[in-house]
Amino acid sequence: MEQVTRRTQVLRNHLLLQSTPPGLLSPNHCVNYSPPDVAEPLSFNPTDMRILLDAHNIPDRDWLFGLFTQSHLFNPLPRGAKVFVLPDYNQPMEQQREVTMERIWYMLEKGVYEGWLTDTSPEAQMRRFALLEVIGIYDHSLAIKLGVHFFLWGGAIQFFGTKSHHDKWLTDTENYTIKGCFAMSELGHGSNVRGIETVTTYDSNSGEFVINTPCESAQKYWIGGAAKHATHTIVFSQLKINGKNQGVHAFITQIRDADGNVCPNIRIADCGHKIGLNGVDNGRIWFNNVRIPRENLLNSVADVSPDGQYLSAIKDPDQRFAAFLAPLTTGRVNIAIAAIYSSKTSLAIAIRYSLTRRAFSVTPNGPEVLLLDYPSHQRRLLPLLAKTYAMSFAGNDLKKIYVKRTPESNKIIHVVSSAYKATFTWHNMRTLQECREACGGQGLKTENRVGHLKSEYDVQSTFEGDNNILMQQVSKALFSEYVATKKRNKPFKGLGLEHMNKPCPVIPSQLTSSNVRCSEFQVNAFCLRERDLLHRFATEVSKYQAQGQSKEYAFLLSYQLAEDLGRAFSERIILQTFIEAEATVPSGPLKDILSLMRSMYALICLEEDAAFLRYGYLTTDNAAVVRKEVTKVCSELRPHALALVNSFGIPDAFLSPIAFNWIDANAWSSVHH
Amino acid sequence: MVSRLLELLIAYEEDSNVKLVIVKGKGRAFCAGGDVPAVVRDCSKGDWRSGANYFQKEYLLNYMATYCKPQVSILNGIVMGVGAGASIHGRFRVATENSVFAMPETGLGVFPDVGASYFLSRLQGFFGEYVGLTGARLDGAEMLVCGLATHFVPQQRLSLLEEALHKLDSSDPAIVSATIDKYSQQPYLKEQSAYHRLDLIDRCFSLRTVEDILSALEREALNKNDDWISTTIKSLKQASPTSLKVSLRSIRQGRLQGVGQCLVREYRMVCHILRGKVSRDFIEGYRAILLDKDKNPKWEPSKLELVSEDMVDSFFSMLDGEDWEDLKFPARSNLPVSATAKL
Repeated sequence: MEQVTRRTQVLRNHLLLQSTPPGLLSPNHCVNYSPPDVAEPLSFNPTDMRILLDAHNIPDRDWLFGLFTQSHLFNPLPRGAKVFVLPDYNQPMEQQREVTMERIWYMLEKGVYEGWLTDTSPEAQMRRFALLEVIGIYDHSLAIKLGVHFFLWGGAIQFFGTKSHHDKWLTDTENYTIKGCFAMSELGHGSNVRGIETVTTYDSNSGEFVINTPCESAQKYWIGGAAKHATHTIVFSQLKINGKNQGVHAFITQIRDADGNVCPNIRIADCGHKIGLNGVDNGRIWFNNVRIPRENLLNSVADVSPDGQYLSAIKDPDQRFAAFLAPLTTGRVNIAIAAIYSSKTSLAIAIRYSLTRRAFSVTPNGPEVLLLDYPSHQRRLLPLLAKTYAMSFAGNDLKKIYVKRTPESNKIIHVVSSAYKATFTWHNMRTLQECREACGGQGLKTENRVGHLKSEYDVQSTFEGDNNILMQQVSKALFSEYVATKKRNKPFKGLGLEHMNKPCPVIPSQLTSSNVRCSEFQVNAFCLRERDLLHRFATEVSKYQAQGQSKEYAFLLSYQLAEDLGRAFSERIILQTFIEAEATVPSGPLKDILSLMRSMYALICLEEDAAFLRYGYLTTDNAAVVRKEVTKVCSELRPHALALVNSFGIPDAFLSPIAFNWIDANAWSSVHH
Repeated sequence: MVSRLLELLIAYEEDSNVKLVIVKGKGRAFCAGGDVPAVVRDCSKGDWRSGANYFQKEYLLNYMATYCKPQVSILNGIVMGVGAGASIHGRFRVATENSVFAMPETGLGVFPDVGASYFLSRLQGFFGEYVGLTGARLDGAEMLVCGLATHFVPQQRLSLLEEALHKLDSSDPAIVSATIDKYSQQPYLKEQSAYHRLDLIDRCFSLRTVEDILSALEREALNKNDDWISTTIKSLKQASPTSLKVSLRSIRQGRLQGVGQCLVREYRMVCHILRGKVSRDFIEGYRAILLDKDKNPKWEPSKLELVSEDMVDSFFSMLDGEDWEDLKFPARSNLPVSATAKL
């Protein structure tokens, strides 16, 4: 009879959707959540560290974070006692694209884009960077869609166009009267822009350019914004004047009217569903005798007169092309920085989770151990954290040089931005994977953010220049510098290569726990590697050339050294900017922790790059000392882990449930019936 | 008062006989604010440190925010400044038809402290910016609707409520809530309530700078003949320009921080205000509004455009030298998961 009563009670509870009566689940043996903020004392104030990491426009960032958390348009997700904001990646592609556009309108209304194109002052540019970084933290699709409109379309008008173009287009772009996109890539050509097949000729009778897609491989592909929304585009095309191909030029072309109908002679198709970034409507474009006025040629580098004469101040087509592409640096800077914020988000989630999740006891009947108390778990996450800190400082340095750029600094900005774009985006993908794994099964839930970021950010290693190509360009630039300097018989100047003028650095024969943390040793080791690899690379290329190979072919054959050299260059500059950032901090807990992080960065690079052992910059004994020190530094960083990720200044709402009370977030009472 | 309250709370936390804490005021106020004259006197003498016994106030507020036992505040009257701080961080806030809530600090040359950057920023949309910048007054119904109050109980039932709470032998928040529910009533929002204008408030108070907010309000005033808009514009124009900018940044930063961080930050800001090196608006505000009562403060700088980003930045930085330290809360052991701030 008692059993009947009990069963009736259980059934009644089910029917009335009541929570399980207390007592059935005994709380005593259950896993409890304890906020890491209670258990882990902070050795420094994360607010102060954030000021160093974000470096600029912090109130503007906080304002924009607030715009996202306070509006339903950004998809608030109540989980347990907290509310997160996360785009709904489960929506069909069409809806993701529409809501992304709606979010862009919302931000337009709030004045987010004010001055993004019409104010060229360094202050405005820095604010623009800051706001774009916040947008990227929320949703990569949103950042890309804006990036295409402002920095690719808008940037092309700014840098390839002249005053008449600025007057005609910039304000309309800034207030979204028109929606722009950037038609450079084709089905058959992406990284090799010079090889694109779209062709444009000039009709001097009507004063118009005529654009054509001569074959299927010439169709524009991956054009963000083109599939649904964009009204205008920059078309990159070979320009044939009077039977001569003058190379790649850029033209403004309207592709849709104000009502959203595709213009005549233009065909647009959808690239379709992607593994990520489905908030961006990528399209394919074919041009069939599309006529545009002569004024639509973006003529900062070259022009065509009304009667059809090609005019350019730069006679050499290679130089002309280089001048042409130099302005695309903004994209590379933005991408590199976005990669770091993505790493920060995933590390904040994974490290906070590892400070609350336990697994396995090491003593019989003892409590299970916190994930981050395992040396192996520390080794997986803390070096990546140090690298992220290092790249964060390097990225800020790049932004600073970029907004104050001069014609003289353009070369170093080009090389450094290429190196950073490749290095940071590869680092991000690696960090995302490690963080996903470190979160175990929870890393597979889309709403836990960390796993899904992989599919959102994967594209970074490909767009704006394939990473491998970029790194090769870096090594080619270093080679040219090396050869030219040797030829001139002058000291090295530029690209940070001044260290090559000093005598070859000496590595202590016996590394110890103390000298290995010394910044002088670390810089010496990195400089030695770069110096030696540059020499080896130049020697090998010259050897092939002496054998009769062309310089291009020689580069191709020396790809292994090129890779090593590119990495060496990148890591050396990053280390130097980290040391400079450290030097600006007055003595105290903040400086101490930065010093420890900087050593972690240097040591992990020394441990991971086989070049140190391969070319003998480190003896095997010294390499063993380095390896051991890595573990030691990890354990010294462990107590600061929480403060270090809180310093990222990423508000709770932009992390995910597993970074907080993941037990509450998954409780039955949180389930929507 | 503050140190006494803190003493009592600490004692009650340890005492297992104490199940819940009821806080109420005497007369027509719950609490109208701190002892400003005393603080101003000290500061005028150059002694800003005794004014900086604010650290005790922050400890108190933090205690309330993370208190293990339910705190029920009966807000039967004026709730402003420190009064808000002493109640809003507690678990239950009972408003009545006599409640009048406001954070009027910008009109006095200071900023909404007492953890207001935490609780105001968590109100819906950008209502928090509106309340914090204009010093707008909210009645009991409005407090309930926006979440500053958890319950509304008519004054005549208060004594019955208190009796019931006295008889309650439980610390279970669900039970306490259910008990207060029994005496609660659903109040009506007055027609002129700011809460009927949430769209307008969100449109204007979401903008990036104080100047933008004011311009937006002025644009709205052109299209509509609305007393509420003109009153709101007036409040902003009468407030200290420095206070407005500092308060706006404080609320927006607070939106993204926990209550402990908010209090640490506000402590820094308050110390800067008391030290008076960046701005003397606090002294002038006291003089014009509370002392001479001419209601004509001469703010310095007098215009929003003259308040630079650097000036605003300085309120948020650490104080240099003078062996000053950031506020550090004593460790609280055995905090249950539920002991997180209540809003």
